[in-house]
Amino acid sequence: MGSSLRSFIKDVRGAKTLADERAIITKQSAKIRTKLRDDHLPHEKRRVNIQKLLYLYILGEKTHFGQVESINLIASDDFVDKRLGYLAATLLLDESEDLLTLLTNMLNNDLHHPNKYAVSLALTSLGFLSSPELARDLYPDVENIIKNSKDPFLLKKALQCAAKLISKDISLLEIFNIEDITKILSNHSICTHGVLLGITKILQSVLLIGLDPENGDDDDGIDYANDVLSPLSLLLRDFFTRLENLNSKNIEPGYDVQGICDPFLQCEMIYTLKLYFQVGELLNSNHVLDYKDNFCDLLTRIATNTDSTKNSGQAILYETVKAIFSLNLNQPLRVLGVSILAKFLVGKDNNTKYVSLNTLLKVVPQEPTAVQRHRKFISHCLQDNDISIRMRALELSFAILDNSNLVDLIDELMKFLAKQDEDSKDLIIYTIDHLIDTFDTHTVKDENWKLDVFLNVLKLVGPFINYEKINDILIIINNTAQLSDKCNFLRKLLIISLDEKSMGISDENIGWRLVLIWCIGEYCDLLLNDNNESNAKIINESSITNYLLTLQECYTTTNHKIINYILTTALKLSIKLQGPKNIEKLRQVILGYADSTDLLLQMKSNQYEILFNQPVSVKRIVLETMPKFEKVAEKQENVKKTSKNPVSNEPADLLSDFLNDDNKTEAIAATDNNVGPTDLLEEIFGEKKDTKRPLKNGKEESIDQPLPASADSNVILPSNAAKIHDSASLNVYATLLSANSGLAHIELFFQAKSIISDLQTFCAVPKAQKLTLGQLHPSSTIRANQICKQSLKISGSGKLKLRVKLDFHLDGSPSTTNEQFDHKFDTTL
Amino acid sequence: MTQLKYLILVSRQGKIRLKKWYTAMSAGEKAKIVKNLTPTILARKPKMCNIIEYSDHKVVYKRYASLFFIVGVTPDVDNELLTLEVIHRFVETMDTYFGNVCELDIIFNFNKVYDILNEMVMCDGSIAESNKKEVLHHVTVMDTMESNDNLERVLS
Repeated sequence: MGSSLRSFIKDVRGAKTLADERAIITKQSAKIRTKLRDDHLPHEKRRVNIQKLLYLYILGEKTHFGQVESINLIASDDFVDKRLGYLAATLLLDESEDLLTLLTNMLNNDLHHPNKYAVSLALTSLGFLSSPELARDLYPDVENIIKNSKDPFLLKKALQCAAKLISKDISLLEIFNIEDITKILSNHSICTHGVLLGITKILQSVLLIGLDPENGDDDDGIDYANDVLSPLSLLLRDFFTRLENLNSKNIEPGYDVQGICDPFLQCEMIYTLKLYFQVGELLNSNHVLDYKDNFCDLLTRIATNTDSTKNSGQAILYETVKAIFSLNLNQPLRVLGVSILAKFLVGKDNNTKYVSLNTLLKVVPQEPTAVQRHRKFISHCLQDNDISIRMRALELSFAILDNSNLVDLIDELMKFLAKQDEDSKDLIIYTIDHLIDTFDTHTVKDENWKLDVFLNVLKLVGPFINYEKINDILIIINNTAQLSDKCNFLRKLLIISLDEKSMGISDENIGWRLVLIWCIGEYCDLLLNDNNESNAKIINESSITNYLLTLQECYTTTNHKIINYILTTALKLSIKLQGPKNIEKLRQVILGYADSTDLLLQMKSNQYEILFNQPVSVKRIVLETMPKFEKVAEKQENVKKTSKNPVSNEPADLLSDFLNDDNKTEAIAATDNNVGPTDLLEEIFGEKKDTKRPLKNGKEESIDQPLPASADSNVILPSNAAKIHDSASLNVYATLLSANSGLAHIELFFQAKSIISDLQTFCAVPKAQKLTLGQLHPSSTIRANQICKQSLKISGSGKLKLRVKLDFHLDGSPSTTNEQFDHKFDTTL
Repeated sequence: MTQLKYLILVSRQGKIRLKKWYTAMSAGEKAKIVKNLTPTILARKPKMCNIIEYSDHKVVYKRYASLFFIVGVTPDVDNELLTLEVIHRFVETMDTYFGNVCELDIIFNFNKVYDILNEMVMCDGSIAESNKKEVLHHVTVMDTMESNDNLERVLS
């Protein structure tokens, strides 16, 4: 084994097996450790060993034993040692290390080093390794360079370093002097792009301190608005001019990126300016806000003049759009922003599509109609080859969905579903979940069409739908008002199933089968009694009975869930069919499971058999068509009901209860809202209760659907909602519906005290969390004492905190009223 | 704007060629990121977009020849399109420095790559210098100073 770094790397690369590689690394690691301990090791050897140590670092090996040695290298007079020493220190140490105190002196010395590169190394490393203590101790030295140096290279480094130090220890704001920056900006010869980047960084650090609510109280004796922000605002004009020049001219080839002049600096400047106005609005500082119109004009010019065909130009446009929406600038700008994003969707580049869809999703609550206008492009992205683009397009499609585009969008979604396969299972499940929610929250006049949608869904992606969602679909079918619509639905199901048995629906399509079996049990008498039945050749008592028998044979060993459904349907058919032969066949089906090894099936079979032999008049009562299911009250009363419900406790009594007193059972059936229709019968007999219930509960807690519209448009304030904001114009309440496994679901209720129109809400969450904001329901206009609701989904980690900003027009007045408040929940994600 | 959380260079075989962290994280977190991201990104198809979501942040990556450049960015703050430009700038700069850079150059001269990176990207992960020539100028001056040191030592 050679002794140079090169041969070490070669040896590691040449290792034939993982074990060989491990052996080489362990051996070399031990060798480095011994060598570094030797105080008389010549510098050159020492360097080689530190370099090897860095290679170990890249490989992910332990390197702690070399930390002190790297620091010692910095003290050397030789530049080559110093450079390597600093490199090693920045890689091997981090901000939390105790060893950093060892560095203080060396850094201090090097910050005054006659060689500017030694100074620059010290500045860079101080930036990387700045603990609050180091920041306090060394800031004056860094400031000294900012004040006195005329070398752009050093200035740039010092500014970057100072930016980091200020963010580490905010009390440094007291010393920070904005005039140093003004002086640099006024000296054209030293104001290179690098220096400007450094200045944007220092301004960002200072502004971010103003933006952090925890620094809001001036307990440090700093009056941020007056002492910091207002002198800072003197730079605004200068920034506007510089940014404008950068954007319109491109004369320096060194900064050119695909024909755009320094997109890096342009983006940093836009971002910095955005921070200015964010802080300005927070503190209501006119020093800053007076320039808002200028900023809007500038952004408009950038948005119109920047070349949008290249990635570098798109980066600037994207930054502009982000600024527009995070400041919620005027409506023409917002519309311009949306159309820029829409243009991104047309191109071939998937990255621009990605950022566009992502951003559009965030701005839907601010500019819903403008986003809806670009529905075609969004739908187009549903057909993209890239699954992450499809996912984003899907989310956005549901976000812009409303009554006006419901039919068109769902058509697009059907086209989308038709093309999905196993790989995009997540997308399919997402679509189905949201489709069900959509039909819960939106009233559709043409229910026939609605059922056709589900027919299509079942046909296309039935195998991917889980049982829980099938229950939801059955509820929707059951709640359809017109019997004829249900009849039509069943007819279509049957025609497809019976007619093209060979090619129509595969045996894996459990979703389709379950729905079909359930519908046969519920509606087949309606279908058979229909005199105009033109498909009598295909659909008749025998064909249905035989089909049920075929299914039973098909799934008898593979899927007991389906068999359960078949048994119930067979029982129900016993009062719906006329032919004694068919009825006997059905009885045989039920009897067939009397000694099944599946306990559940066995019980069901035996109980059903007893019921089967009851007189028709008795059976009719028991087997009556399912009542309509209300989902409204389910949330609030859910808990109470689970504990109170007698069904789960006294299964045996219930059967007799049921048979004796049908009024009582009716009552149970009617109040027991949150159980799927098929389960209801099972429940009445007291089976499966325990397994079913937690499943449904689980679903309700994790739901991401808005609360189903109760009585169309009147939102009712739930009793557990806590008041989080109270002002002259409105009250805001919040309920935390769920918070687990990194996902919280919150609902905000806005109760108007007088007429509020065009309500816009902006919410912010801590950095580690992601927020998805739902639309306002029922509308953004609230009459006095009415309530409007918005759902929020927060994913991520950390404490649940919200900052909410509200823009609205009060009593029809043309001017916008702003309100802002923070709320902390007691929950941590 | 750009504010990288980390930069990792990974070969097509999944070997780490370089890594640099710009935010303080525990060793465990770092190891987890490297371990989880590498297979995910290697499995991505060429036409897919270069941005993925990982844990609480986003990851922008780009493949150049046999190397994947993987960058963690801050959601909502970072401009993903600009991040791609930063990666490209970095590659271009290395290309000029090494003269048609290849994976082997990076493997054997990783300390030079760090030198270039530290001139380009500052301590908080934002871009420090947008002029490629400026970056290369200072790196080469420091290189010369190093060899002068050696020369002086030989002479003395």
